[in-house]
Amino acid sequence: MRSPDLLRFNLRLLTGQWFRTLMTLLATAVGVAAVLLLTGMGEGARRFVLEEFNLLGNDVLIVLPGRKETTGGIPPLTGEGTRDLTLADAEAVLKLPGVRAVAPLVVGLTQAEAAGRNREQMVVGTSLEFFRIRQLGAAQGRLLPELPLDRAEAVCVIGSDVRRALFDQQPVLGRWLRTGDRRCRIIGVLEDRGVSFGTDMKDTVIIPVASAQQLFNTQGLFRLFVQVRHLDLIDSLKPEILDLIQARHQGERDITLISQDSLLGVFDDVLQLLTLAVGAIAAISLVVAGILIMNITLISVSQRTPEIGLLKALGASERQVHRLFLSEALMMTLIGAALGVVIGYTLLWTGHWLWPQFPVSVPLWALAGAVLLALAVALMFAWLPARKAARLPPVLALKGITDA
Amino acid sequence: MRSADYLRLTLSSLKSSRMRAGLTILGIAIGICAVVLLTTLGEGLRLYVLENFSQFGSRIIAINPGKSQTGGTGGLLASTRPLLVEDAWSLQQLPYVEYVVPVVQGSGAIEYGNRVRYTDIIGSGSDMAPAWRFEVAQGRSLPDGRNGYPQPWAVLGHKVKQELFAEKSALGQFIRVGGERYRVVGIMAEKGQMLGFDLDDIVYIPVERALSLFNRTGVMEIDVTYRPGTTAQEMAERVRQRLIARHGVEDFSLVTQDEMLQSLDRILAILTVAIGGLGGISLVVGAIGIVTIMVTTVHERRAEIGLFRAIGATRRQVMWLFLGEAILLALIGGLVGILISGLALGLLALAMPDLPIQLDPFYLLLALLLSALVGLISGVLPARRAAGLNPVLALQSE
Repeated sequence: MRSPDLLRFNLRLLTGQWFRTLMTLLATAVGVAAVLLLTGMGEGARRFVLEEFNLLGNDVLIVLPGRKETTGGIPPLTGEGTRDLTLADAEAVLKLPGVRAVAPLVVGLTQAEAAGRNREQMVVGTSLEFFRIRQLGAAQGRLLPELPLDRAEAVCVIGSDVRRALFDQQPVLGRWLRTGDRRCRIIGVLEDRGVSFGTDMKDTVIIPVASAQQLFNTQGLFRLFVQVRHLDLIDSLKPEILDLIQARHQGERDITLISQDSLLGVFDDVLQLLTLAVGAIAAISLVVAGILIMNITLISVSQRTPEIGLLKALGASERQVHRLFLSEALMMTLIGAALGVVIGYTLLWTGHWLWPQFPVSVPLWALAGAVLLALAVALMFAWLPARKAARLPPVLALKGITDA
Repeated sequence: MRSADYLRLTLSSLKSSRMRAGLTILGIAIGICAVVLLTTLGEGLRLYVLENFSQFGSRIIAINPGKSQTGGTGGLLASTRPLLVEDAWSLQQLPYVEYVVPVVQGSGAIEYGNRVRYTDIIGSGSDMAPAWRFEVAQGRSLPDGRNGYPQPWAVLGHKVKQELFAEKSALGQFIRVGGERYRVVGIMAEKGQMLGFDLDDIVYIPVERALSLFNRTGVMEIDVTYRPGTTAQEMAERVRQRLIARHGVEDFSLVTQDEMLQSLDRILAILTVAIGGLGGISLVVGAIGIVTIMVTTVHERRAEIGLFRAIGATRRQVMWLFLGEAILLALIGGLVGILISGLALGLLALAMPDLPIQLDPFYLLLALLLSALVGLISGVLPARRAAGLNPVLALQSE
């Protein structure tokens, strides 16, 4: 039989048993759509997280005071070491060739007061470079002035949430804000940007690092961001920074150096694994759909026994009959899978339309995997019934007897 | 018709098409198996996490500097309004208070002889071991800071002791913690990991000394445990009033163990339901299978149905016959699914004895009910078709 004949034959068959066909299509479509939908959502979550955390750029290293020998554990996030990481350390790191910029960070909580209102406020002490590294811009006014790291100045840049909470819609530029026991003049308002490493920049007051050290009466830095001149330099710079700080700290290696990649790598792995697991769970339904296909093919074989007998009497070979039933199952699955892809994408895009900030994209492996799995399952489960049909003795089959 | 007759008729019809029924049952079994396995695993994870958290006892209130708007990281940051060690000790006089544990955490070098280990340092008080239910294996707990500046004594976690002293006795030896000299007065019993944090790789020193070592004014957390006889809310209120009296404003946040466990519990329970729902997709596909097969069966047995109706069976009886068949298919599928998942969970329990997995009879019953429901829903359409057949035409179809 030629392929167009096969196709026509199958199509007539499928439309003839339209209810059964429809249900099988539905089963396959549900399975494929579930895989696409779930992996699409998992991938979307992964991208969402990566984008949120990727603000730092991957040419940035983070220096934490303190060090732990256990490998693979949680880095010493408390930021408390027995020896402070100081501004002098930051300046020394800046002098290393290959380092483009450093941004020291002192973070603390204090009471902020303005216009008769007060609230507990996170205050970040840093330098102008911080805004460049974090790719933060000013919505109004300007960013911190370019100062030597150890010079304090009574100016601050506030996040949009702070502005809303303390001033509502009033103009804020040039007004005084009291933080703890000292005050600063507001010179700028930050533009709205995302969350990074759990710190919502919208809800912070940013002041020069030396001012923050005075405010919180501390010498030590909470973090130090180091931006390298070129991405390739990151690996060679890591030991250099470690050695430099070790030399400055009387030979003690008491800092931890992490890159954004290593932090994100962990997230990435976990989320990818989750996506895979969720996709696999959805794929179970494809197996169930395969069982249904086997059942349908069995029924089809037993109903069409006389027909098979006729075909064989007319000279059809075992292979041809086998191919006939296999192609019926495959065609059904293919249409079902296509339907599933359409449904899956429609649902995903509807979701994206409702929540535009949530990126959706089905990973290619999931799309190909779902369709291939559906076809493989159909082939596997239809194989037995098709072979049963092919081996029917023509004479008995013509009489409608299945079990010889 | 008696119900025994219903059963016999249905069973005989299933038996006559064994392959077909077997495959349909297999489909439902896989679906039920997915749901049971996934919810049981989710439930196991929930219990595991809760167990991990409640190993510190259930009557604990944690106090962190900073209001909750900072998302609980307040303890790590510098502050112009710190929680002082004196604040912690002042809570001791409140009624029902059992232990008060101020906590500062950092990291640094621990030296003994020419061995050095960089690891976590926790500054705390003498109540730390009993409050957190940590066992001191040798020696004693930390000195008490309430009667003057504490002596430079340190307690070692199990792993640190092994790394620095190996098999030698550590008690009474001098070590250096961040350059300062401490005498080892105790060794903690082995505790293992908690959610990725190694509880044995820690050196404990008095909190007052830790504050000066890290050059801080405030502690990161104060844990208060209380005796039975009062509620968590009342106790939290007492602590809140006392601290407000000392600070003038509420510049700290309180979390009771109850609240924490509850919110954790809720999140994990939702997760379990969601995962179970994912498994349910297979069940839906299985249900589609029942519908398809039953409709085919009805079509094939038209003549039989016609005969049935001709000898006086009512529409309702015919409907129940096919509905019963669908439910029976699904129920058997459910039973098989439960058996398979029981087997799989048994193997898993052998492989991972740590995870508390248990098959709850209640959930098993629920799974069976679910499968019966699936059968019922998917049986409605074919059964109505069968009942709606015109007896005369149906008889003629033969």
